[in-house]
Amino acid sequence: MQNFKKYLLLSLAALAFVSCSDNDDNPAANNVTLEFNNTFKSTTIVLGNAASTSATANTSAAGQVHHFSELKYVISNIRLVKDNGDEVPYNVNDLDKGATVIDQAKTASLSYVLSNVPSATYKQIKFGLGIKAEQNTLDQVRFPNFYALAGANDTAMMWEWGSGYRFTKIEGFYGTDNKTMSIHTGSTVEGTKDVPSSYTQGVNAYRDITLNLTTNAVVGSKAPKIKIQADFDKLLSGKTNTITLSTGTGMNDNATPNIHTAAQMAKFVDNLGGNGSSDITGMFSVTAVEN
Amino acid sequence: MKKILGFVIAILFLTSCNSEDSEMLAIDNPEIDLKIPADFPELNAFVSQNKPTQYGVELGEKLFSDKRFSADNTISCSSCHIQENAFTDQKTQAVGIEGRIGLRNTPSIQNLAFMKFYNWDGSKLQLENQPLVPIITHEEMDSSILEVMGKIKNDAVYKDLFRKAFGDENITPERIYKSIAQFEYTLISANSKYDKVKRKEVSFTESELKGYQTFQQKCASCHEGELFTDQSFRNIGFPLNTDTNEAGRARVTGIAADFMSFRVPTLRNIEYTAPYGSFGQFPTLKSVLDYFDNGVLDADNLDPIFKENGKRIPLTEEEKVNLIAFMKTFSDATFTKR
Repeated sequence: MQNFKKYLLLSLAALAFVSCSDNDDNPAANNVTLEFNNTFKSTTIVLGNAASTSATANTSAAGQVHHFSELKYVISNIRLVKDNGDEVPYNVNDLDKGATVIDQAKTASLSYVLSNVPSATYKQIKFGLGIKAEQNTLDQVRFPNFYALAGANDTAMMWEWGSGYRFTKIEGFYGTDNKTMSIHTGSTVEGTKDVPSSYTQGVNAYRDITLNLTTNAVVGSKAPKIKIQADFDKLLSGKTNTITLSTGTGMNDNATPNIHTAAQMAKFVDNLGGNGSSDITGMFSVTAVEN
Repeated sequence: MKKILGFVIAILFLTSCNSEDSEMLAIDNPEIDLKIPADFPELNAFVSQNKPTQYGVELGEKLFSDKRFSADNTISCSSCHIQENAFTDQKTQAVGIEGRIGLRNTPSIQNLAFMKFYNWDGSKLQLENQPLVPIITHEEMDSSILEVMGKIKNDAVYKDLFRKAFGDENITPERIYKSIAQFEYTLISANSKYDKVKRKEVSFTESELKGYQTFQQKCASCHEGELFTDQSFRNIGFPLNTDTNEAGRARVTGIAADFMSFRVPTLRNIEYTAPYGSFGQFPTLKSVLDYFDNGVLDADNLDPIFKENGKRIPLTEEEKVNLIAFMKTFSDATFTKR
């Protein structure tokens, strides 16, 4: 019996060793970590309430000083592009496994680990800011984890009336008198899944982002980290639109959510996520790849 | 011997066939004839994909009045959508759990099978997509579909109804939405005095007839057809809801010209659906007509009909009295079970 135990132990150890060395040499897959750094220009954002002295202040192209108390956005539909151009989708049809809410108030949320990424050399990353219309249905049965993540009381990334998720939620203050700014984006398109022609009304706020990596990410024996900067200076001072915030309930007032609805919302969306044609990076850029 | 064996096998076969058949018969769930009234608009295209059935409707009606749809089990759909008021609640804005006030006035539920858009801003085009919204909205039921399913899943009555309506006991979100929509599709109001006059069963009074004539002249361009709505969205200069979440139709379309535009409401059972306006601005029909007469708010996208007519609909006091008399002929006591 003693002998048997010894043999068992020995063979287990051998097995473990074999599998270990196997991984080290040439694993079929490894992790890739996406690390999001939310900034105003190159300064990492510190959140703060209206009277905060520690919050990072930014000044827009139109001269409006502003800072944020809350900053969240949804990333989904992640794809890595190999150096030969092949696209490797990462759970693109499963919000539970392939989408996340980046929340500046939660440090853990800023690193999103892609697991089991096939070993290869990657030159580009693509992802969505927001969620594609056909998945943006608040389907709690199909994607209970993402639903719970987005719907949590301290996250509030749902647009109940539109039966969809919020894609971006920014709360903050602007102007010398710290007026409230509340910028929410999300899709209001209404249609039937898998029937594109049925989407006859509404705004599609989903934006597909394509970023070239600064150096190739080599997935294999190493698990690379891709550092992505999201520069929220672009919110008001974007490539597409220069926006001046104004408070009120009129058609052109845009600092509070009555506009996420009107044409005004699309301007924020284009600034943050690009316009889908001439600008496919929006506020995002890759600052480094750690192999 | 062979013959006997063959006979036995044949009988066995037949028996098993029969038992399957009888099982099918046990779930006899006939489609409901919607009895589409004369001259009504065509059905919403989605109705044909979810035709009301006897048990689908029965299930939908039961779900419609189930308070377990709300987080604290205090309100159901029928708490705000009260039949005797044509499924409205007589409140300026809807009230959800814990007395939370919603953004808008509870819309009536009637003749929805003939509507192309749902809600004040037309946010939904398919009725089956609507029930989830009040379930999850903080100011309404503040629950979730899994929470609701968890509460009702062991209810024997539901098990039976889901089986009868859909063939097995499985409770799914789609089945919940479909059965509620089926129930709502059957809510057709077309037996008012107005309808009876059309059918030449009764006649208008003199006042109603004058009101009818004024209506044709001053109201019917928007409140057209048998549902008294052209199903368009218009900014008609009503007092504005200053809630920052309100933008009217523009909230959905993102089009500036739709800012603070709302759908032209049906006037069926209008006597019972006070207060009026997207957030209950007007307590009475008289106050609505007075407002039109006195002049509406200006806006860049004010409806052309108002822009071109001095931002008002001039009405004499007599015309108002007659218009109200005419509009009261849209009241359908059969529908509201009054």
